[in-house]
Amino acid sequence: MSQWLSEVIATAQTHQDWLAPHRQAALAELEKVRWPLRKVEDWRFTPLIPVEKRSVSLAKPENTEFSAPKIGELSAIELVFSGNELLTDVCALSLPEGLEIVRFSSATAEQQQVIESLLSDVKPAKHLFGQVNDALLADGLYIKVAAGKTIDTPIRISQLASNEGDQHLRVLMQVEAGARATVLEDGYGDASSVNTAFSEYVLHSEAHLEHYRFAMFTQQAMHVGGCHFKVAEKAQLSSTLIGYGSQLSRLDVDVIYTGEFANANINAIYLLAEGELFDLHTTIEHAVPNCTTEENARGIVGDRAKAVFNGRIHIHRDAQKTLAELNNRNLLLSRRAVINTKPELEIYADDVKCAHGATVAEIDDTALYYLLTRGISRSQALIMLNFGFIRELINQIPNEDIAGWLLTQLHDRFVGMEVK
Amino acid sequence: MSEQIEQALSKQYEAGFYSEIESDTFENGLDESIIRRISAMKNEPEWMLEWRLKAYHSWLEMEEPDWAHVVYPKVDYQAISYYSSPKSMKDKPKSLDEVDPELLDVYNKLGIPLHEQEMLAGVAVDAVFDSVSVVTTFREKLHEAGVIFCPISEAIQKYPELVKKYIGSVVPRTDNYFAALNSAVFTDGSFVYIPKGVRCPMELSTYFRINEQNTGQFERTLIVADEGSHVSYLEGCTAPQRDENQLHAAVVELVALDKANIKYSTVQNWYPGDENGKGGIYNFVTKRGICHDDAKISWTQVETGSAVTWKYPSCVLKGDNSVGEFYSVALTRGRQQADTGTKMIHLGKNTRSTIISKGISAGKSNNAYRGLVQMGPKSDGARNFTQCDSLLIGDQCGAHTFPYIESRNPSAIVEHEATTSKVSDEQLFLAQQRGLDAEKAVSMIVNGFCKEVFKELPMEFAVEAGKLLEISLEGSVG
Repeated sequence: MSQWLSEVIATAQTHQDWLAPHRQAALAELEKVRWPLRKVEDWRFTPLIPVEKRSVSLAKPENTEFSAPKIGELSAIELVFSGNELLTDVCALSLPEGLEIVRFSSATAEQQQVIESLLSDVKPAKHLFGQVNDALLADGLYIKVAAGKTIDTPIRISQLASNEGDQHLRVLMQVEAGARATVLEDGYGDASSVNTAFSEYVLHSEAHLEHYRFAMFTQQAMHVGGCHFKVAEKAQLSSTLIGYGSQLSRLDVDVIYTGEFANANINAIYLLAEGELFDLHTTIEHAVPNCTTEENARGIVGDRAKAVFNGRIHIHRDAQKTLAELNNRNLLLSRRAVINTKPELEIYADDVKCAHGATVAEIDDTALYYLLTRGISRSQALIMLNFGFIRELINQIPNEDIAGWLLTQLHDRFVGMEVK
Repeated sequence: MSEQIEQALSKQYEAGFYSEIESDTFENGLDESIIRRISAMKNEPEWMLEWRLKAYHSWLEMEEPDWAHVVYPKVDYQAISYYSSPKSMKDKPKSLDEVDPELLDVYNKLGIPLHEQEMLAGVAVDAVFDSVSVVTTFREKLHEAGVIFCPISEAIQKYPELVKKYIGSVVPRTDNYFAALNSAVFTDGSFVYIPKGVRCPMELSTYFRINEQNTGQFERTLIVADEGSHVSYLEGCTAPQRDENQLHAAVVELVALDKANIKYSTVQNWYPGDENGKGGIYNFVTKRGICHDDAKISWTQVETGSAVTWKYPSCVLKGDNSVGEFYSVALTRGRQQADTGTKMIHLGKNTRSTIISKGISAGKSNNAYRGLVQMGPKSDGARNFTQCDSLLIGDQCGAHTFPYIESRNPSAIVEHEATTSKVSDEQLFLAQQRGLDAEKAVSMIVNGFCKEVFKELPMEFAVEAGKLLEISLEGSVG
């Protein structure tokens, strides 16, 4: 056990609110935790040294005006979380019909019951920082889209890290049968504080969720987050993940199919420079037959940065007729950059089509030569080729406002990397 | 009361009895004195004993690895005898009539000559059968070429400088739990040295090595190919081998000096245990080779036996322009579990590696590929291509892939592909339409699936391997 973890436990024990019983279960687990060292497979390539010796101090809501960056012309239902609490006055929002947003701290007794039943229902019980989130969460959001309703306006949940202390955000969402919604989770921060953000989504039959998670933490920030989805019959999930690197940045994405003929499409992009680290772990649990997964992760790693990717596809016994494909492609820009990738397949059913691929390479000489012969400068050509590699994924984003904004953000970041 | 005293006395007597007479088989258990005794039995020089003891002490502090995708009851290392001499003639079956008819059936299907069947089944035969003369001519020919091929215990006596220089240089004695155990207690194995510029005149095979019996469960092989030399080495044999030892922890070290070329082929068919997974060999092997400049090491393996396999033949591509290859077919059936693959460590410039792995799972077995491709910061222009294909036969088995890719060099290129499929109904239908029965059809399809690996095997071996798969798959269709 590390100093930090013992402090987490001590701090959590002082919280007294209606979530306390739930917290106890997490604390019991945390007591038993073997602090991840290199020997724990899940943290093998991502050192937790920056967290290990820290002392826990939770962020407090400050008086400063917080605002998340504007995403192009996107008009969304904006929910801002900072200073370890939700700054947006949920009651003041005018919500479209069929959408319900509840803040944990102001939930009615009835809502508390619903929230309790959903907490940690999807999130894997064994994730260390998930347990820390369970233990320390003070506020969170419960969102429900009623059956058959389509919410056109995207719901945006922004986490703004504080300079002053740690914060822990939790989101629970239910998309009921046949409902449709778009959710964007984004996070920013560069100061040395620990931020966790775990979201659990339940997609009921024929539900449709367009999901985005942008982990745009940089520099000294320490962020560990997770998006966990339960996908029922004929439901559809599309998720776009963006990772910047920082002192410690880790994202876990889990998809668990609970009903047949569901599908998930996951695209991930990471762009790392300087001494940054980004670690993406994805797990797809094909627990039932006839589901389809397509996952594409692409990354560019420059300077002394390090990218870790672990993509696991687990096909359970009897999950016949599964189609699953996972592809991870990486470009290394520098001699000191590191990539650790591991696409895993674990298959217990015979009538399935499963494939994964991973590549690490620099850009194709022939393609570069082609551009040079057309009079394009070398540096321009490199940007075109390298960036083209991730642009392909951005082009698949269904929301034009988000895609356009993201393109500029990533392009600027990338050009900045190249110039250094 | 007096009964108890008597019992106590007789116990003491029993214990005394063991230490008093010179037994050919050591009592169970492992401690320093056992290692000293093994070393003394082999008449080893002092440095070898010290080396063993150091390995033993590191082993004591190590933990048994548990990351592999296999489940088995833990081995009790104190319940194993670490040395036993060959079975005496009178314990062995007198003739093939006393051997399990099922085993004989398999031999016949593989087309193994009678006297070889006797040897494999451990029948006590007079030493004057054909292969002895084969061995003699074989030795003469090697001697002319200057090739050293002998048991490692003999090499320790005759060529101590060579052994001292290279043993543990590729697989250090503290490399992993099983390698450390092997370093402490290895009883025998092969030693090969190919002098500069020599192309070994024939394929070397453990099968022909004199003193082949009792290589035991802790076998250690060391092959050194000096500059510009070539050697092809065959290990194991397609026929199922009888063995009383449950734990096998072998170590194989290959050293390919500049421009040398080593090809190491293995066919492993140890006893896989019964239908319920009882019995069967645990095969926990450490195999690794080091390639100096322009050298090449090629591993080819056909793994069909053992209850649990834990094996990752690897190449350390230290020299510039060196090449590593790994071709593998692993078939599991019944309750077998295999966690096997390779490591390609690219250190030098322009190093290249190819990994082709074919896993076939049937019955209730689990078959995992686990591999590592590592590109070091200085491996400019290095290249790797990996292909892992799995074939599932039946819906009770599992096929898994765990490839680790670590790159630290922008100009290195790593490609990994993996697919999983089953023998499709269309393929079966097509074959059956043309008059093949279901079993033949499956074995044909499986053979096609493995073709890329089989073509890397020495010819006779390839034919046998094909047959072996066919037999192994029997009963797994339908």
